[in-house]
Amino acid sequence: MTAPTVTTTPAPQGAGSPQRSWGDRAAKLWHRMTTPSTLPLMGTLVTLILMLVIGQMRYSTERRDFVSIKLFSNLFVDNSYLLVLAVGMTFVILTGGIDLSVGAVVALVGLVIATLLPTGLPLVIVLPLAVGIGSLFGFMIGVMVHYFSIQPFIASLAAMFLARGLANVVSVQSVGIDHDGFSALAGWSLKFGEGRDIWKINSSMLVAVAVLAVAYLLLHHTRFGRTVYGVGVGDRGNAIQLMGLNAGRTTLWVYVISGTCAGISGVLFAFYTKSGFNLTGIGMELDAIAAVVIGGTVLTGGAGYVLGTFLGVTVYGLIQVMIAREGLDSWWTKVFIGVVLLAFVLLQRAIARKKVR
Amino acid sequence: MTTSPVQRIVGAVWHHRLFWPVVALIVLLLACQINSPGFLSIDVRNGALFGQPIDILRTAATPLLLALGMALVIATAGIDLSVGAVMAISLAVSLTYLQGSASAGEVPTVMAAVALGIGVALLCGMFNGFLVSVLGIQPFIATMILMVAGRGIAMLITQAQITTVTSAPFKFIGSGSVFGLPTPVVIAAVVFVIVAVIVRRTALGMMLESIGINREASRLAGVNSRGITWFAYALAGVLAGLAGIVYGAPTMAADANNIGLMKEMDAIMCVVLGGTLLSGGKFYLSGTVIGALILTTIERAVIIFHLPSQITPLFKAIVIIAVCIAQSPELRTWLHKAGGRMRTKTPPSAPSTTASTSSADDPRKEVAVS
Amino acid sequence: MSHPSGHAPVVEMTGITIEFPGVKALDSVSFRLFPGEVHALMGENGAGKSTLIKALTGVYQIAAGTVNIDGKAVRITGTDAAQKAGISTVYQEVNLCGNLSVAENIMLGHEPRFGPFISWRALKAQAATFLARLHLDIDPSSKLSEHSIAVQQLCAIARSTVVQAKVLILDEPTSSLQQAEVDELFAVIRELRDQGVAILFVSHFLDQIYEISDRITVLRNGSFIGEYMVSDLPRLQLIEKMIGRSGAELEKIDKTSERRDPQQDATPIYQAAGLGKFGKVENVDITVHPGEIVGLAGLLGSGRTETARLMAGVDRPEHGETSLRGKPTPINDPKTALKNNIVYSSEDRKKEGIIGDLTVRENIALALQSLRGVWRPIPKAELDTIVERYLTALRIYPANPNMLIRNLSGGNQQKVLLARWLATQPELLILDEPTRGIDIGAKADIQRLVVEQAREGMGFVFISSEFEEVLRVSDRVLIFKDRVITDDLDNAEHTLTSTDILHAIAALTDAKPRDAAQPATHATVTKEHNA
Repeated sequence: MTAPTVTTTPAPQGAGSPQRSWGDRAAKLWHRMTTPSTLPLMGTLVTLILMLVIGQMRYSTERRDFVSIKLFSNLFVDNSYLLVLAVGMTFVILTGGIDLSVGAVVALVGLVIATLLPTGLPLVIVLPLAVGIGSLFGFMIGVMVHYFSIQPFIASLAAMFLARGLANVVSVQSVGIDHDGFSALAGWSLKFGEGRDIWKINSSMLVAVAVLAVAYLLLHHTRFGRTVYGVGVGDRGNAIQLMGLNAGRTTLWVYVISGTCAGISGVLFAFYTKSGFNLTGIGMELDAIAAVVIGGTVLTGGAGYVLGTFLGVTVYGLIQVMIAREGLDSWWTKVFIGVVLLAFVLLQRAIARKKVR
Repeated sequence: MTTSPVQRIVGAVWHHRLFWPVVALIVLLLACQINSPGFLSIDVRNGALFGQPIDILRTAATPLLLALGMALVIATAGIDLSVGAVMAISLAVSLTYLQGSASAGEVPTVMAAVALGIGVALLCGMFNGFLVSVLGIQPFIATMILMVAGRGIAMLITQAQITTVTSAPFKFIGSGSVFGLPTPVVIAAVVFVIVAVIVRRTALGMMLESIGINREASRLAGVNSRGITWFAYALAGVLAGLAGIVYGAPTMAADANNIGLMKEMDAIMCVVLGGTLLSGGKFYLSGTVIGALILTTIERAVIIFHLPSQITPLFKAIVIIAVCIAQSPELRTWLHKAGGRMRTKTPPSAPSTTASTSSADDPRKEVAVS
Repeated sequence: MSHPSGHAPVVEMTGITIEFPGVKALDSVSFRLFPGEVHALMGENGAGKSTLIKALTGVYQIAAGTVNIDGKAVRITGTDAAQKAGISTVYQEVNLCGNLSVAENIMLGHEPRFGPFISWRALKAQAATFLARLHLDIDPSSKLSEHSIAVQQLCAIARSTVVQAKVLILDEPTSSLQQAEVDELFAVIRELRDQGVAILFVSHFLDQIYEISDRITVLRNGSFIGEYMVSDLPRLQLIEKMIGRSGAELEKIDKTSERRDPQQDATPIYQAAGLGKFGKVENVDITVHPGEIVGLAGLLGSGRTETARLMAGVDRPEHGETSLRGKPTPINDPKTALKNNIVYSSEDRKKEGIIGDLTVRENIALALQSLRGVWRPIPKAELDTIVERYLTALRIYPANPNMLIRNLSGGNQQKVLLARWLATQPELLILDEPTRGIDIGAKADIQRLVVEQAREGMGFVFISSEFEEVLRVSDRVLIFKDRVITDDLDNAEHTLTSTDILHAIAALTDAKPRDAAQPATHATVTKEHNA
């Protein structure tokens, strides 16, 4: 903001250059923020702020603000599984694919945990195994997509049926998880604040944040990540292939990542519900896709940010919170999410039109 | 040339796009017949046909109705995820109207109810079509909006109750019989013929395909791609509405949460099993019928084999994977390389070579081979 | 000039055969490439040039024959294998990733890393040095898609210098470049050649071939015709070898300049005043009479294509009045244009022309069917007659109406598209680059057809970046510059020359002769530049 004065700067000539570079950086940042590819993300951010402002105005009481750390803490206690799911989905969507199987995988993983733990298998084996099931499903979709050129929609649809069917084989009833180690892990949390303002960070949130961080590093700072972006444009990976990079293996890995995220998400969901149920997660894949789209990633691939997905999940969670605060019936949530999705899609469309002009 | 006529016929059959789907269907039927002798037999009782095959046909009517509309939408390189939700909406509207009517048992009332349900379904289809063709929103996301919101809307219509009514004419739509055949089968057959005539006896089919293959080139050639795409979504909506009524008529209960749940996936599966590519372009209505039959036969087979019905998805998965892999050009290339006796000089049939992901320029294929 | 005779070839392909279902795309073709030479691969469309290149770059698998690289027999199993063997390719349509930065496009696959992570600073610095070597002054962290095709192509070449390719294949790199950009590209090519890189160059522009290459290999119909030093092969002979016909066919092209009588006094078919769209063209006045061929000439982006698109309603005009046969008729979309007997044949055949997976027959029927409406199919017999007539009249090969159009060569696809437009019996046919990228025979056929149809009263707007071609067919040439029409030249007696057009284009320009980008085909001027 304030330029360094001569008295505080030993070398007046030197003061000019960092100043100019700051101006440059600001201009560059502004340029980057307003390019067509980041505009949807800005839209998400603006929406988020708008919702928070409305929430603050409508739901704040004299004693408590609506916007508080507690709000976000609760939001991510409820939605950390969705964040992990959406992060995995972001990888797939960036390549122009789709993964419909994740909801069913969450159900299967939950049931596997619920049935394996009572057999006395230790937690350190069960949890990795459960995550591994997710990876395996992802691998299967990847093989179908890459080696057999089956469209991602159909390949993941088949995986969805498979996972759902297997979940039904395991059990058709809700199986409660009563395991000390598991409960300890699920219930662990760091508490902050006092009285009514108490908020916490639980294990699920840590896992979700870790997944987000890893995904960010992977997408933006490794060759693999850049290849993911490349596969999403340029002739469905043809360009990447002609550049001598391995489009096929990238495609395969993207689904493994999504599957693994679904596995982790299944564990987190089991943490959250402390049970496994075969009808869990019907339509959960759509929630994840909606969050990714709201987060500014384009469904045709090639453009988007994993941090946008984070914002998308936040918006999604906030919608649920606000519907609950309004005291509306639960099916209103669906209608409202549909409306918000419509609004976002129209917004993105308007931006795209502007870009063309 | 050097190929004998027999070889040529074998080649043509082997490479026909419906070869694997038909094989899958026959295998399924035979497996049922072996497991439960008499499975394939049909009796005449009270002037109506009875038997497992007739039952399969009856059950196949709903997915077929959905899939016929879906096939046209997919031909334009689109997709309609909302059909399941639209089923729920249309049934909710029809039954709510009947419930509120004093003369629910009379034919004109039922006709009005059906017309109303289908009319609302048409509106849903128009909404999808508007988003896709006028606003240019991606079909997946555009129809996902109604898929998510539609069930909520159906709940609003039924006031979150499971609406039930009694009306003989309405029930007839789902469980009556015409000329010895179950009404749903007749309805599906009539709709199939109408759609086939509309599509193949006019230029609609060619235009749908041309839009799906190259939308911009079609626009420049004067093709009314907006109108035609819109029509496809509207028709898909109407057929979904009809399917909802046919599906819900026997029980006459509108359970907004569960009617048509995941049916969009079933419909897409039928279309794809029939050899139509999700990427759009060429589409096959007869293949779609085979797809619907496979789907219902799987569901029936699970019962015949005394398996818990919850594991049906497992078998759907196996069949999708098997048929898709069998249809994939990669497998055919591999089989050719393996030098089976089936090798012929005829080029592979159209759908497998026209696959957008499998053109000769696709370098991924070579990578897979190397 | 380096003379390769002393070296051993870096690439030697012998007896290469490639088969597609039902077709032999290459039949026992041989090809040699020496280090430090520019080798042109010549042939008409469908001769097998791209097939041979794709065999060398590992996109297609060869059925028979051997490939030696540096004297060792190799099997190129895929694109990555080709790159490992030192073969880099720059395609006509840039095959890089538009959504990634310039630096990433150049360095990806060879990026400097810190552990598993890309070192962005080093990556940008290295990319900058590679760009500097090609004298390309752009921001490495800018997005690739923000740059022109020419710059993107140079980026692709920069990428090939990163991998230190021994062999650089340039597949029609100049087709969408302006002359100044071509000069820049050629400077880079010469530099690389002098460093010992073997360069395989494919282009439709003869002048460019004679300007840059040392040696020529000619293919025809998938067969090897011969390998020649450029100095030993005059142009006429080269053309004869490419098309397998004597000069007679070529003379026919010139016969098209026979006089016709455009009905200048009749009511104009098409008249526009003040036609324009922001950022495309401004205030275009244009009139087409029955039987008149109006040529539009100008540089790429000068407004010629943009005008054509507004005329046919492909893009919606933002202002201006159009009247057809004296009656004011706004044209806002291609459908309306079609109904008013105006059709537009796009310059982008693949994206805006053919419907790849439909048959030749369906492709011909499409526009006529749109005209009649979806619900009134063209009777089979009628369509048969129409299809048959155009297959013969336009000499479409193969004359099989049930073949998928994407399996035809470029020239034949273009003819099918012409048949599509002609079948609607238009009054005004707007042809945008109808002969781009197609062989000389087909070119002659199309030019002849245009003149014939004009004689029968059809009006034409003809756009081509080859000025000779525009002059050959047009009665009047409108000169476009910077999005406006700057001149209207009469060519009724066919007295105009390319130089006149160049002068007309240059008329309003500041005196910057080196910069005035001529079309790539203009022989004399191009030569002078590089003398």
